[in-house]
Amino acid sequence: MLKYTIKRFLLMIMTIWIIATLTFVLMNAIPGSPFNEERTSNEAVQANLEAHFNLDQSPLVQYAGYLKSIATFDYGPSIKKPNDSVNDLLSRGFPISAELGIISVTVALLSGVVLGVIAALRHNGIIDYLAMTIAVLGISIPNFVLATLLIQQLSVNAGVLPVATWSSPMHMILPTIALATGPMAIIARLTRSSMLEVLTQDYIKMARAKGLSPMTIIVKHALKNALMPVVTIMGTILAGVLTGTFVIEKIFAIPGMGQYFVESINQRDYPVIMGTTVFYSAFLVVILFIVDITYGFLDPRVKIHKEEGN
Amino acid sequence: MKKWLVLLFAAMLVFMLAACTTSDSGNDEESGSDDDSTEETDDSGEDGEDTDREAEVDGDNVLYLNNAQEPTSFDPPVGFDAISWNALNNLLEGLTRLDDSHQPTEAIAEDWEVSDDGTEYTFNIREDANWSNGDPVTAEDFVYAWTRLLDPDTASPAAFLGYFIEGGEAFNNGEGSEDDVMIEATDEKTLTVTLEAPTGFFLNVVANPAFFPVNHQVAEENPDWHTEADSFVSNGPFSLQEWNHESDMLFERNEEYWDAENVALDQVHWAMVNDTNTEYQMYDSGELDTSGIPSDLADELLDSDDVVFADQAGTYFYRFNVTMEPFQNENIRKAFAMVMNQEDIVEYITRNEEEPAKGFVAPGLEDADGNEFRETNGDLLEYNPEEARELLEQGMEEEGYDELPEVVLSYNTSDEHRSIAEYMQEVYAEELDVEVSLENTEWSVFLEDQRNLEMQFSRSSFLADYADPVNFLESFVTDSSMNRTGWSNDEYDQLIADSKAESDEAQRFEYLYEAEEILFDEMPLFPLYFYNQITLQNPDVTGVVRHPVGYLELKWAEKQ
Repeated sequence: MLKYTIKRFLLMIMTIWIIATLTFVLMNAIPGSPFNEERTSNEAVQANLEAHFNLDQSPLVQYAGYLKSIATFDYGPSIKKPNDSVNDLLSRGFPISAELGIISVTVALLSGVVLGVIAALRHNGIIDYLAMTIAVLGISIPNFVLATLLIQQLSVNAGVLPVATWSSPMHMILPTIALATGPMAIIARLTRSSMLEVLTQDYIKMARAKGLSPMTIIVKHALKNALMPVVTIMGTILAGVLTGTFVIEKIFAIPGMGQYFVESINQRDYPVIMGTTVFYSAFLVVILFIVDITYGFLDPRVKIHKEEGN
Repeated sequence: MKKWLVLLFAAMLVFMLAACTTSDSGNDEESGSDDDSTEETDDSGEDGEDTDREAEVDGDNVLYLNNAQEPTSFDPPVGFDAISWNALNNLLEGLTRLDDSHQPTEAIAEDWEVSDDGTEYTFNIREDANWSNGDPVTAEDFVYAWTRLLDPDTASPAAFLGYFIEGGEAFNNGEGSEDDVMIEATDEKTLTVTLEAPTGFFLNVVANPAFFPVNHQVAEENPDWHTEADSFVSNGPFSLQEWNHESDMLFERNEEYWDAENVALDQVHWAMVNDTNTEYQMYDSGELDTSGIPSDLADELLDSDDVVFADQAGTYFYRFNVTMEPFQNENIRKAFAMVMNQEDIVEYITRNEEEPAKGFVAPGLEDADGNEFRETNGDLLEYNPEEARELLEQGMEEEGYDELPEVVLSYNTSDEHRSIAEYMQEVYAEELDVEVSLENTEWSVFLEDQRNLEMQFSRSSFLADYADPVNFLESFVTDSSMNRTGWSNDEYDQLIADSKAESDEAQRFEYLYEAEEILFDEMPLFPLYFYNQITLQNPDVTGVVRHPVGYLELKWAEKQ
């Protein structure tokens, strides 16, 4: 297990290095500069700006600079927000994105699993159809449409909830619903189908035959196995939602991390592009690593298989 | 069971449709604003000693605005954009401030003298002009701030505005030194500036946020004074009370401001909502006092009483690349320009009640005699499809074309630019029988290509940096970074140069009138319309001033 962990760790570092290099190549390949504006000032002003942000150096020197900044976790100042370093932006935006993300994922996971289990237990019943209709709608309505709809109905027309911003628990309700609905639907469908599969297994029949209470059978025996595929996709959902969702954050004016991803590219804010990309990929890689380890706890078969593999 | 499924879907569909139709319930505004005022009270409770608490509870004198984004920087020479300067314009004050008729009036300067040749300005700073920390505003604060604007180490994108000052350009491009910049504090309250050339609009220029003073004692001690509310010192109508980065800001009336008694608002709350639909929905539910108009709602909203119109000194236009076929030919350029019906574009495509542009210099600028520049120089571009067809034929003959070389019209990716480009494509096909292909690229790539003269025919826009026609016209002198057409005309260059050296205002405008005529005689570009500013504004709010060139003024704003 230790050997496996070390191997995975080295692989993680490799992955991040490759991503950083690709990012550097790509961002230098796109034409344009952070100082390209409609009304450009003259050359002296441009030259001063480029010198100020080290953009007048050769690509190799810049690349070395970025590698160093990744190693030291210090990306220097943002070009477009000269008051802030990239670290400032990340440490300001990430907690908010993470807060929204954790709330949404929790809501999505709880409601998704409950919905999926109920649907599976009442297979082909009214409740099953109802739950799956909600799930299909949840998957097919894009979250930005849902967000606008929610604002219009609940905030503008009914006036029960504030429209936007991130300043009180009341403000968090709508973005949470908008963000949680999609993952909830995916989780519900996955839970339902794997529950259905598990419920027909012999050991469930065995448990029933032993006379265990239905609650124990479902929670302890069936659900634990049925959740495997959910754990698999949770990694991706978690990383995506926690590091900021540009559209939802924009609509609800939530000062999270999502905006930096998108805007930094449009503005050619190189240090921010580099910082956010590396941060996001490191986060994703770590979460996938954790998910891998979680398998072992949920399903002993995975551990054996891995040891055989090594 | 299948029936159940069908019924269920039907029910869902009905719910969705019901949700999509907006119902008009007008009574929800209160709940929104109640929400806000409770929050405000909570906030001030934390601050402890808040004098305006009653006012806050009433919610009467608090203006709720949206700044769209986090200001780039409140360091005056650095945050060269509207998201920084619209707010900053109300925190700091320069020697002059633009009044409600957009003319510079006395602000931190009580009065001034101009030398006979128009190059030396002596400003007398008010005795009662103070910083929010109680320090007096001194001439030294201006010297410090203006020198920083020009310092190459500051890397200010607005530095070129300081080139009017003698020695400014040389210092900024590294050829000269700081000591040769002719800004001088003659005594504590007197500032003397020598200009490169008589600049008739200099008083207008110094109202620009790039020329705001900086409390040099504070700045020398803490170079990051401008990044947080705690350390920010202001000398304008408002002080910065709270700044939650990327989230919101709270301004409060600055009691140290020399004219504080004429500032009616107690507080200004700035949200940072960067989505037009959300902004409008917040306005609709009473959480904001102003909002832009989402384009798909323009039709119904433009007629409402809440709409406020203001001029914007800027032009939406197209550049021809005169170094590429077929636009090396003047007549072909003119044909492409004259066939365009600008009224149709404004009425059916942009639908924002902009003014069709018949010249390059936008309306709202006056010449030496107080006449409107645009009116005086008249219509320089005429809509005349018939003549356009003749000109095209003539041009093709001159160049020996049997068939016009391929024309590609480029614009930067955006729905609005696309609709205009598609309309133009149709007009060229119908009226001139020319097939034009469209091409769009992302903004930054687009600008790069345009600057490198890699595009034939490209969308452009210009927004003035200072309120004088020369700012529009100097763009097209040879090799200007704003030229981007490859066009060059000695006579034009000479006229712009002469106008900059001229101390007689009437003569200066003669040069400019003539220059604009040359521009349209040769037509390296053609304008479509002049920009304007359309805002939804709570009818209870009065006195908010929006300048054609300049930034939002809240000094005189009131909320009933």
